[in-house]
Amino acid sequence: MFLSRAWGYKLPRWIARFYLAYLAIPIVLLVVGSVGELWLNTLLPTGFTLAWYMQVAADPSFRRAFTASLAVAAIACAACVLAGLPLAYAIFRARSKVVRSLARVVYQLPVALPPLVLAFGFILVFSSDTLPWLGSIWLLAAGHVVLGLPYFLQTVVADMQRLGLRTLEDAAESLGSSGIQRFVHVVLPSLRHSILSGLVIVAALSLGEFQFSNLVAGFLNRTYPVVLLQAFYGATGFACAATVVLLLLALAAAIAGGAVSGSASRLRGVAA
Amino acid sequence: MTTAVDVEGLSFRYPGTQAGVHDATLSIAPGELVVCIGPSGCGKTTLLRLIAGFLVPDRGTIRLDGRDVSALPTRARECGVVFQSYALFPHMRVWENVAYPLRVRGVAPEERRRRALAMLDQVGLAGFADRLPAQLSGGQQQRVALGRALVFSPHALLLDEPLSALDAATRTTMRDEIRRIQREHGIASLLITHDQDEALSLADRIVVMRDGHIVQDAPPQTIYDAPADAFVANFVGRANLVDGVVTGPAAVDTSLGALVTREHALPAGAPLRLLIRPERIEIVDGTQGENALAARVLRDRFFGAARRVEVGVGQGRLEIETNARDTVQCIRIPRDAIQFLNDASNS
Repeated sequence: MFLSRAWGYKLPRWIARFYLAYLAIPIVLLVVGSVGELWLNTLLPTGFTLAWYMQVAADPSFRRAFTASLAVAAIACAACVLAGLPLAYAIFRARSKVVRSLARVVYQLPVALPPLVLAFGFILVFSSDTLPWLGSIWLLAAGHVVLGLPYFLQTVVADMQRLGLRTLEDAAESLGSSGIQRFVHVVLPSLRHSILSGLVIVAALSLGEFQFSNLVAGFLNRTYPVVLLQAFYGATGFACAATVVLLLLALAAAIAGGAVSGSASRLRGVAA
Repeated sequence: MTTAVDVEGLSFRYPGTQAGVHDATLSIAPGELVVCIGPSGCGKTTLLRLIAGFLVPDRGTIRLDGRDVSALPTRARECGVVFQSYALFPHMRVWENVAYPLRVRGVAPEERRRRALAMLDQVGLAGFADRLPAQLSGGQQQRVALGRALVFSPHALLLDEPLSALDAATRTTMRDEIRRIQREHGIASLLITHDQDEALSLADRIVVMRDGHIVQDAPPQTIYDAPADAFVANFVGRANLVDGVVTGPAAVDTSLGALVTREHALPAGAPLRLLIRPERIEIVDGTQGENALAARVLRDRFFGAARRVEVGVGQGRLEIETNARDTVQCIRIPRDAIQFLNDASNS
């Protein structure tokens, strides 16, 4: 053993600290830069101002991109629930094990698919005269659904299995409830936590997605990350402030997700 | 008197396999508790799922309180089902779980709560009404499930291995509780289990299943004292099975030696199989007397209340259950402890 016992304990801690610092420094610098008046060739900017934020807020293309991003995320989330829930249910209820594992492979495929490839596909299909929808906000959302659905399905199907949803439904049926009643009284409410946390992932993915959106978004419907790229050609403070806004959005999604799964584990804690 | 549950010639085969239920006929009288027992894969849970309507039979009829329900969906059958995993709705409070069958039947909210609370009282959970299922122990959750399955006065109560998810101590208590509540409601019940103690202690009647067939349907004492075949003898209680050949009107030659049995009408030379329960074998001082034989101890295990000794007798082996502490040198098999099984020809 070439490390002393004390080092054996200390080393992992130091690695953890360095890694945290490595994660935090760019974010801290972004925040600092966003409120600095002037940042030229010094390590840290000088002066304090909130002007950059006001400028971002006042910029029409940023305002439009912010709303477009929220709209795309909302549409993607709605579509994930509408398409994802029945899909998850079908995968969960599939009788044959082969079908279930095949379905799993198929719905996980987009995870391995570079968004760039998806974007080229979309451009090929939707720039035609038959389907001239390239540049619409709906098409953007449709792409984000493809990218986010695997995570949504994974979360919901796993929860269905863990809950023993099938037996819950059998129980409800034996107690006299109809198909619609089972769905409204039992399926939806018992899955509400996994549906919500699946949606948080979809929303976070959609809000931060750049590769696909940059190629597919039309000029009028560019999403926030796409517009953000332009900011880097301008003043540093403005770019920092615009990035921090995106960061706050991502943070909000993460906190929402944490709160949801936290309350879920409290509810189920004792049963485990 | 009409039967509460009447199953006739019921058959179901899982597609692509031989597993299922084959030509099952069974009836349960009002207030009767029938326990269906068998090894895993014998079709006992399938039988329950067919009666509940979760599976559609290939052939046969199911009648509940005289009405043919074979073609009805589960929700129209009015059977209370209790599952091994309790299957409580995790997002509903205890009283809401119990009130759920009333809710889908359109009972007014105040009336629902009143009846759910009364039912919780009966199953011993007064004061737990506003908890969530996850805040209850396994035994308590199963009480909720039982209350929920009874609150709408179903035709029959179907319990699918209701005790096997519980720990040993809770299991015994819940066993008595299920019996008490079932008695109080006077409801025809079918309980599925693979635990012979559960079956013997709970049942008014036991149905033993094997490979999808009902092999015996009789009261617990009959199942134990006069099992239909070697399988039942082995599955319910401990059994010494001894092959032999008839040598006289009350004599059989076996690997243990020549045994005197009750009078029988079998011809000399006929092969047969004998059942001797371990606790019926006596430990004696010498080999004089009827069916007294010398024994060599092969294994001797002490379990507190009982002691199980495995002995070699003649060319064969016997298991003895006794509470005597003496060393075993000679044993005696009373004539009436020797039963004839019907399946000498097959295994």
